[in-house]
Amino acid sequence: MSDDPMAPSQQALARGIFGGLALFAIWELVARLFELPSYILPAVSEILARLWTARVALGEAAAYTLGESVAGYLLGGAVGIGLALAITLVPPLRKIIVPAATAVNSVPVVAFSPLILLWFGMGVSSKIVMVAVAVSFTMFVSALAGFDRVDERSVNLMRSFGASRAAILWKLRLPTALPLILSGMRLSTVRSLIVAIVTEMLGAYGGLGWVIYQAVIVIDFVQVWAAIFVASIASLGFFGIVALLERKLVFWR
Amino acid sequence: MTVQANMAGASPVARRFGAVLPLLKGVAALAAVLLAVELIVILFGIRPYVLPRPSAVIEAILRTPAAYRDAIIRTGLETLMGFGAGALFGIWIGIAFSRLRFLRETVFPIFIVSQTIPVIAFGALVVMWFGNTILAKAVIVFYLTFFPVTVNALLGMRAVDEKQVQLLRSFGASEREIMRKLRFPTALPHIFVALRIASALGLAGAVVGEWFGDTTGLGVLLLQGMYAENMVAIWASILCSAVLGVAFFSAIGLAEKRIVFWGGEST
Repeated sequence: MSDDPMAPSQQALARGIFGGLALFAIWELVARLFELPSYILPAVSEILARLWTARVALGEAAAYTLGESVAGYLLGGAVGIGLALAITLVPPLRKIIVPAATAVNSVPVVAFSPLILLWFGMGVSSKIVMVAVAVSFTMFVSALAGFDRVDERSVNLMRSFGASRAAILWKLRLPTALPLILSGMRLSTVRSLIVAIVTEMLGAYGGLGWVIYQAVIVIDFVQVWAAIFVASIASLGFFGIVALLERKLVFWR
Repeated sequence: MTVQANMAGASPVARRFGAVLPLLKGVAALAAVLLAVELIVILFGIRPYVLPRPSAVIEAILRTPAAYRDAIIRTGLETLMGFGAGALFGIWIGIAFSRLRFLRETVFPIFIVSQTIPVIAFGALVVMWFGNTILAKAVIVFYLTFFPVTVNALLGMRAVDEKQVQLLRSFGASEREIMRKLRFPTALPHIFVALRIASALGLAGAVVGEWFGDTTGLGVLLLQGMYAENMVAIWASILCSAVLGVAFFSAIGLAEKRIVFWGGEST
């Protein structure tokens, strides 16, 4: 499947890099030729220069935001996968948990951020909770789909050989559900970072969202772009690590 | 699946009922949760600052219905504009990607990276570019909508069985006819899955877009509620967002049932 857009071949990789470079070249050219003011579109070179001069501040902000995102991501994953596991082990719970989760999910998740900020304050904890809320539903849905895929006949077979509930869970249910759980985890990475940044913008003491908000107030749009670049790189890094983990853990695929 | 199978032989009335079923389910789930929360708040004596009673929230909406109605219309309109443009663009570019390999391999990675840019940062720039207008919010919604649609349109186009294409071709069908009668219908179920995801993302984008300064909209109400530390107002806005979200979701479900009447792989 060299044609698969998700698993690029050598040629596709080269073309992808070419596309990125072409975009930057056109961007640089347009910004220079039309002498666009930086609040409309600063030149790429200007942004890269700012990335270098402000590297310490931006790096600290990125670390701050990444910390919040990862903590919320793990918390949300634990809640989502835990709920799916609870339903699998105690089937009557499904009738309560699934409608409740669906109702909570029908609200666009950012609408909760003012509420969460008032509840948990301006600090790190409100961002962690927001990220957890944002990712837990995706994790829940994918984990539940994974556990539902387990063949009940296999469960019965293991039981007939005297396997304990824990053994069935560990040796059958979890490996069967793992590919879907991990793809849910991969999809949630970028989302977790975005939600952390969005919440930081409403009120925070640090982080990329806070940097962006401050830069907008003082109309320093080169700084905004620099922060956007950093956020993008951080998201891609987080995504890459989880995707790598997925490939290692689901080696049979 | 079983619902759809039963629906095939059912009367038109039953079929119409089946089409609004997701809406009814959503409303029922919402009502059940509201009732449960009401009981919990009363039973445990939770203070309004932590969690107001749902009845108080609904009362607040009924006291000033015009404000909430205007907000829903405004945010709904922003979402609709951006969503419509994003869906059309996504389908179009997805088809183009499926045809032109060079374009796909050059541009698709840029699309992927573009989705890692936090919308809030982008929002500040878009409002700078387009002014504080409804268009600026529609652009943000568009930005969030087109990507999932593009991905699934591309996937759907590739799900076509090449043997069927060759069969049609051997009967002298033109490329246009093959697109209209085989490729596009095959891709539709995939596209609808993306449309449902995109509607939720788009609504969130519209709400966030309003945070950059506006006078009406659900995002504005949320922000005002936060600054006034008015928990009832925040919950009222959250409830309105939920209603709007469910409405979009079910509208798309309804359209899917009508257009993909042969039943896709979804739900």
